[in-house]
Amino acid sequence: MLQIRNLYAYYGKIEALSGVSCHVNQGEIVALIGANGAGKTTLLNALCGLVQARGKVTFQGESLLAVAPEGIVARGISQVPEGRQIFALLTVAENLELGAYLRQRRRQRPEIAADLEKVYALFPRLYERRQQAAGTLSGGEQQMLAIGRALMARPRLLLLDEPSLGLAPVIVDSIIETIVNLRQQGVTILMVEQNARTALSIADRGYVLETGRILLSGPAADLLHDRQVTRAYLGKDYKEFTEGR
Amino acid sequence: MPDWRQEIPSREELELLQLERLQSTLNRAYRQVKFYRRQFDERQLRPNDIQELSHLARLPFTTRADLSHNYPYGLFAVPLREVVRIQSSPGTTANPVVVGYTAGDLRFWRELTARLYRSAEVSKDDIVQIILAAGLNNWARDLKDGAEHLGASVIPFANLNFAKQLMVMRDYKTSILVTTPSYARHLIDVMETMGLVAADFSLKRAILVAEPLTPAVRDEIAAGLQVSLSTAYGITEVLGPGLAFSCPENAGLHFSEDHFLPEIVDPDNGAPCDLGVPGELVITTLSTTAFPLVRFRTGDIASLQAEACPCGCPLIRLGEIVGRCDRIFSVGGIKIHPDQVGSAIAEILSGHTPRHRLRLGQDAGLTYLDIEIQMDENLFSDEVKCLEAIGRRLRRYLRENLGIDSRVALVEKISPDPE
Repeated sequence: MLQIRNLYAYYGKIEALSGVSCHVNQGEIVALIGANGAGKTTLLNALCGLVQARGKVTFQGESLLAVAPEGIVARGISQVPEGRQIFALLTVAENLELGAYLRQRRRQRPEIAADLEKVYALFPRLYERRQQAAGTLSGGEQQMLAIGRALMARPRLLLLDEPSLGLAPVIVDSIIETIVNLRQQGVTILMVEQNARTALSIADRGYVLETGRILLSGPAADLLHDRQVTRAYLGKDYKEFTEGR
Repeated sequence: MPDWRQEIPSREELELLQLERLQSTLNRAYRQVKFYRRQFDERQLRPNDIQELSHLARLPFTTRADLSHNYPYGLFAVPLREVVRIQSSPGTTANPVVVGYTAGDLRFWRELTARLYRSAEVSKDDIVQIILAAGLNNWARDLKDGAEHLGASVIPFANLNFAKQLMVMRDYKTSILVTTPSYARHLIDVMETMGLVAADFSLKRAILVAEPLTPAVRDEIAAGLQVSLSTAYGITEVLGPGLAFSCPENAGLHFSEDHFLPEIVDPDNGAPCDLGVPGELVITTLSTTAFPLVRFRTGDIASLQAEACPCGCPLIRLGEIVGRCDRIFSVGGIKIHPDQVGSAIAEILSGHTPRHRLRLGQDAGLTYLDIEIQMDENLFSDEVKCLEAIGRRLRRYLRENLGIDSRVALVEKISPDPE
């Protein structure tokens, strides 16, 4: 579905991704894990056209890199950004409708209304609070809203950036459950997580990123099993390894 | 048979998978292994300069000498704490070859070996008996693990004589025999002396490993045991036998290129060979974490064939191993360098290495190393007993250190090579 070859991304002169190659198959949950600053979010932003990038990215056979962000959404990729980034002053319902912004222009009102129902069915809490200003929601509810808003664009591929960040463990569980549900409904998911254990427990495959490079990849169960190895690659034990002998 | 469509959806996806895995392997090797970092730095390359599979040719080869220089742990890419198995084999230089595996490496290797069995149409319902020489212990263990992973009932290798092995094979109703071509021939020989025929057994298939299989020997074994045959290829430096395996079409060996990248190069200048042209097989690991190998020269001569196989497996095929490009040769599946025998002789004779010649001998199907040592004044002794002791000690040394059988003769003048 999504194929990435030799992707480089830059913030000014700083190279944040140094030749990343990876892929996501239809119907998969793929986790990108790695420490702070490894380039996980940059990768998602590069896919959405939000940072300057070069390389070869194809989505369902079509090249993606020269496409403007709204064109990428139109092709079926939606991002749930880190820290939710909802519109705090707008109501829950308004936030969700904004998610269908591109479709509003195409006059798909009945379909949008039906999707709104689906999102409310997925997150009954959002229905209860549909008239409330989004800024008054709890962290978990805001995360639900951010996911719901992304779903309103009817994505084929959903990019989730740190969905568990700053949430209480019990809320994390319910978000994770939602992600598994979404996959069952046919949405393909690429998620970024610092919390490797959570992400790998539901993912099919995973990639371990470090300073803009992929160091390990494989079935999520194997990476989870090899957490020790993963940690060694994530920097902590590295010095011990080379200098201790 | 494995469901190839599920394992490898298309050639294009396979190539992306290979590229992904190659790049992460190089990133790890560069980061964790000084030897590889130096190889990159000397050529002013960085791992991300390898943007296509073909760019791999920019990197230098890794040789058996490099493994020897980095003995024992120099090429490990993970802390020893993460290594769960340290496996050594005699190798072909003064130092043994030491290979490490993480728990993940072993898991993946078991799956790969199980795939070899599945491709040979072995299933849970089969009884797999493994008969291999002590010098092939590593292979025996991996083949046992793979068959167990598949769920078959496994009779692991044991120190039984051949008559006992045949008794087990008959009484336990073994359906799959895993052995070397020379052992298979020897078993047929022993069967005859015991008055047994193929119909006394429940064998369906023999999987012949560790040695190349000539068409004549193939026919002899298939007829003698009344079985279908499968073969597999592997080298000790990347663990055992799952590297390439035959399919029911028996047209070459499918190379596990989803986990190992094969190249065929001209052994003299290292230039890449075209498909179908025989050359030296060079291997880069794509999935192993503890012991990555970048462009490792195997010394085996073979060719790659890209045409699709009628069996449906999309993996590229490796032709039969047609020879070696170095002086390494195989004694019943165990690889030996002539210098190893030379240094064994020097060890026995306190540093003196008289002229000697090595040949392979056959006795009832079993391969042994025939060593002729030329007498000279340093060696000459009135005591016949002393001379006999030399032969005995050398035989024992080779058995204990390399795991091979040998016969030693002290001669006045070594016999010339037959034309």
